[in-house]
Amino acid sequence: MSRAEPVAAPPARAFALLGSELSVLFRRRRTWAMLAALALVPILVGIAVRIRSSSNGPAFLAAISDNGLFVSFTGLTVSIPLFLPLTIGVVAGDTIAGEASLGTLRYLLVAPTGRVRLLLVKYAGAAVFALAAPLVVLLAGVGIGALLFPIGPVTLLSGNTVGIDGFAVRALLLAAYVAVSLLGLSAIGLFVSTLTTVPVGAMAATIVLAAAAQILDTLPQLDWLHPWLFSHYWFGFADLLRDPIAWDSFGQNALLQLGYIAFFGGLAYGRFATKDILS
Amino acid sequence: MNKVSRWLPAAIPAAVIAAAALGVPAFGSAAGARLPEKSADEVLALIAGSSATRFSGTVEQSSDLGLPELPKSARGYSSGADSTSAVLELLTADHTAQVFVDGAERERVQVLDDLAERDLYRNGSDVWIYDSKQRAAHHVVLPEGSGAAPQLSATPAELAEKLLAAVDPTTEVDVATGSVAGRPVYELVLTPKSDDTLVGSVTVSVDSDTGLPLEVAVTARGQSTDAVRVGFTSIDFSAPPADTFTFTPSADTRVTEEELPSGPPEGYAAPDLPSPTVTGAGWDTVVALPVDVLGSAGSSSALLAQLTTPVAEGRALQTSLVSVLFTADGRLLAGAVPVEALEAAAR
Repeated sequence: MSRAEPVAAPPARAFALLGSELSVLFRRRRTWAMLAALALVPILVGIAVRIRSSSNGPAFLAAISDNGLFVSFTGLTVSIPLFLPLTIGVVAGDTIAGEASLGTLRYLLVAPTGRVRLLLVKYAGAAVFALAAPLVVLLAGVGIGALLFPIGPVTLLSGNTVGIDGFAVRALLLAAYVAVSLLGLSAIGLFVSTLTTVPVGAMAATIVLAAAAQILDTLPQLDWLHPWLFSHYWFGFADLLRDPIAWDSFGQNALLQLGYIAFFGGLAYGRFATKDILS
Repeated sequence: MNKVSRWLPAAIPAAVIAAAALGVPAFGSAAGARLPEKSADEVLALIAGSSATRFSGTVEQSSDLGLPELPKSARGYSSGADSTSAVLELLTADHTAQVFVDGAERERVQVLDDLAERDLYRNGSDVWIYDSKQRAAHHVVLPEGSGAAPQLSATPAELAEKLLAAVDPTTEVDVATGSVAGRPVYELVLTPKSDDTLVGSVTVSVDSDTGLPLEVAVTARGQSTDAVRVGFTSIDFSAPPADTFTFTPSADTRVTEEELPSGPPEGYAAPDLPSPTVTGAGWDTVVALPVDVLGSAGSSSALLAQLTTPVAEGRALQTSLVSVLFTADGRLLAGAVPVEALEAAAR
């Protein structure tokens, strides 16, 4: 088996592979449809508040009518439990199983790329999508908020205000936090994707796991388990909207996601390294 | 490559995570082993002579009072202002706060809620209280030279003072060593001599270096986990940045200017407040108030019916530390004793 390992290919080739993977991913109509659906979330929130303002609902909703920039935060809060894991499940579940179902996996492995390199490139593609998805939500929120409502300095959770430039920095940090939060789920999706040649099955399994983790996180009887669930810190992004920023959850979240990446990445390797590629 | 070794990349992180999860607590408890022995008096003197006037840290509060735990409502959604569920949340849920102190006149407490925050700012005579859910701020100007500020939640130092004031012949005091927030501490363990109270022991953990109380934990009799615990999980003894203590309300914040009562604090007590009857002493104290809870709430209060159980004298609320009895003849009895003791006091 060790002979199937890659003969250290020049890094340029790996970047070429990553480039082609990204261009395939972001040229797909499905990817654009998912990003458009994510952009629709803050747009609908903004329109709904414009028509009829309400104080009960997702966090930051009450602040929208005073400051349109809050549409982006509300959009992110609404997307995190369902829409973002859904799209990540589709992208990560498709990584290996999609190629297998199309019959293109063996051609990819004929080229001297090696299976490890292919896994890494596939995972990197999913990670780039995990960063693009929250960015789209935030940008669409800022756009629709600026269109429908007055915008101005943003009141943080601590009551102090930051200007537009401070808001931009915090928004980028938020996107990074959410992207890191989704890396663990992406790793699970990658592993599930190596188990099957039916991409829909891998996607569904990943999404179901994301929902199950969040349900377990609400049960007080299982509180010993909560810090180990990959979804536990998903809402910790609010700690970046405090003044001073509470970095604890950022570090804990990154460490937790790193554990998931190492474990499920290892499982994916164990499964994929010796798998018979029949299609 | 054989069948086993291909799983190594998955097995190694799993082993490292398991080792870290099991090994870290054991490492933490070993840190306090090398402290010189001190008597209870010396530990109290250490607290009194505490040199820590500036620090910042994270404080965690957890309660396990034996009340039914409620599943969290969907996170990030506010369910309107419901005071009873807020009280229940305070009793059953855990809270995290960041505390910043710089001298006696500059304080900041940041209570970190899910997607929300409550804040206390004190900068000299200016005190601001901010609630992000209400987007409302309260502003108080303290008179010059006033010492203690109103607090959102008790810091360990404050709780320790209150508890140590209660040390009297009813209590046994021991000293142990341990570790809190990665720092070696002396643990002042207060154990009631009475057998009738629900309180098992009260532990005050004092930083061995600065004398700052870092943690207060109360255990209930017959319960393995702490009933109430307030303590630092991390602490840093350098001066916090000055802008931590300043607050400027934004244009869309509702600001309420509060007036401090000009008279002495004793005049604060409303004249029609019923005076309590106290029976028993020390840990077994039972306080009785002529408040007709059952009569005023009636049978309509579903929450009261859910939390309390019917007993011969009325309805009783039993937590692992405190019992409350609402009698049918319009009295409220409370104490850190079992319900049976309250019933005996009610007769």
